[in-house]
Amino acid sequence: MIEEILATHELKLVTEDDVMAVRRRVREIAEMRKFDTFAIAAITTATSELARNVVVHGRGGTAKIEEISDGLRAGIRVVFTDEGPGIPDIARVMSGGYSTARSMGLGLSGSKRLVDDFDLESQVGVGTRVTVTKWKRF
Amino acid sequence: MKSFSDYRKYMTILKLDEAEIQSRRAFFTLTDEDLQRLASLRPFAEKVTEEVVEQFYSLLLAHPETRKFFEDDATIRRVKRTQREYFLGLFAGKCDREYVEDRLRVGAAHERIGLAPKWYLGAYRQYLHLILNALQAELKDEERVRAAFQSIQRIVFFDVSLAIDTYIAANAEALVRHQQAIRELSTPVIRVYDRILLLPLVGAIDSIRAEQIMESVLLHVVEAQAKCIIIDIAGVPVVDTRVADHLLKTTAAVRLLGAQTILTGITAQVARTMVQLGVDVSTMHTLSRLSDGIELALGMVGKAITTAAPPAPASPSAVTPPVVGGTS
Amino acid sequence: MIRGQIPILRIGTTLLATIHIELRDAVAEAFQADVLTTIEKDGAAGLLIDISGLDIVDSYVARIIAETGRMAKLMGTTTVLVGMRPEVAATLIRMGYSMEGVLTALNVDDGLELLGHIVPKQRGA
Repeated sequence: MIEEILATHELKLVTEDDVMAVRRRVREIAEMRKFDTFAIAAITTATSELARNVVVHGRGGTAKIEEISDGLRAGIRVVFTDEGPGIPDIARVMSGGYSTARSMGLGLSGSKRLVDDFDLESQVGVGTRVTVTKWKRF
Repeated sequence: MKSFSDYRKYMTILKLDEAEIQSRRAFFTLTDEDLQRLASLRPFAEKVTEEVVEQFYSLLLAHPETRKFFEDDATIRRVKRTQREYFLGLFAGKCDREYVEDRLRVGAAHERIGLAPKWYLGAYRQYLHLILNALQAELKDEERVRAAFQSIQRIVFFDVSLAIDTYIAANAEALVRHQQAIRELSTPVIRVYDRILLLPLVGAIDSIRAEQIMESVLLHVVEAQAKCIIIDIAGVPVVDTRVADHLLKTTAAVRLLGAQTILTGITAQVARTMVQLGVDVSTMHTLSRLSDGIELALGMVGKAITTAAPPAPASPSAVTPPVVGGTS
Repeated sequence: MIRGQIPILRIGTTLLATIHIELRDAVAEAFQADVLTTIEKDGAAGLLIDISGLDIVDSYVARIIAETGRMAKLMGTTTVLVGMRPEVAATLIRMGYSMEGVLTALNVDDGLELLGHIVPKQRGA
């Protein structure tokens, strides 16, 4: 089915307060769209992990929250963008075994397991973009 | 009787706002000129309504498959009246939100009574044929008939697109409802004793069902404040590495809540497979028989099953089943 | 640091900390410090951390809780995590965070009962 963006919210991610604000916003949207409690916890937690990464490792950035629909189900997509140092070894980070950056490995690999779609683009010296999508279940 | 809002919700589902209606109209080349022509044919329509509708229903009632949808005379009278309104609606000379809303009723009603799209489409072809005959008899002039029929075709195909989309949307909704019903049936959690739950699993476990099982187990454990949940897998045909992994995750999640999981129904075959596959289930309580699982669970809440003293042979009414009582 | 945002109650030899607000960095650190200072000053056989009020526990909060438990352990205090919500448990497990080594209980009563079984054994009673 054809995917459609119903609404977009762009939020900055610089401080810890911003992390809280983004994750609260995601929860509100998921609740408004009547996601079940497990799906709400999943997307809110993934948002928390990824937003924290942007603030802690990416030197700040943005979160773009999109309310989407494929005609049958509602969905939430969040795009986290930073212009930080980038990730040199994506495979290693995604395996969850990254120890130099505090909690980064678990944050990324863990978030991936909480969402339906996960996309990570990163270039050393340019920045990182993580896109996650969670669909409401039947 | 279904309410008005019943089909109106499809306006939202199909996103039939002004822009979408315009876009559909453009694709079906349904122009303002067509609408004007249709409006000018209104007197003709009023004259032939009765005849077209009567002929249409005699065709539908002559066919055994379509006759099934008209149980009695009252139904036939009702649908004929609706049909007359529908027919005249084609010649209203407008194609706005209100018109579209009215048209959605058709698809929703057909889906509800289980009329397959093939009958709807087939019947509509006959309908068009009847209209063409009536046009030819009325207008005589070949050029005028052609122009009129073209405008009618455009609005009819516009209508058909709405009806078919409603069919699909209604079907999708039914699918969602069935999914929910299946989910509820696939994880029947039973309270076997105070703070002890039992989940007998039957049938194959794929990853979607495994997720549902975990969530259902966690919700029930917290709701019942159960110290222990017994998961019996005797009815699960295949227990491979993936299924075992799901069960391990469920056990780990139950532990986070502060409760324990007992896995029963481990057959010789399953035990063999698990060991051969190298699945480590040492963090779980596993047992072969469900009855042993129940005894273990009772132990966890400080209870035990004991055997009562044998009854005196003279009084059969004194036969007592094993009783559940405190250990201490 | 914002001390005292998370109340720590004493029930006999057990401390009960109820986390009912989002654990921001500053609050988390203050909470850890509060718990450890209380143990140092007055001693405690057990520590119950009640998280029934939390609708989200991310890896950061999970780590703070696990760390606090390990630190308390070094001071001779056994920690039990109580009241985790179903969706929080499912989320942590899906992320691969099973919090091994942390004791758990369904509610405060069960937590106290568990400490009652464990603590005497550990203290050689």
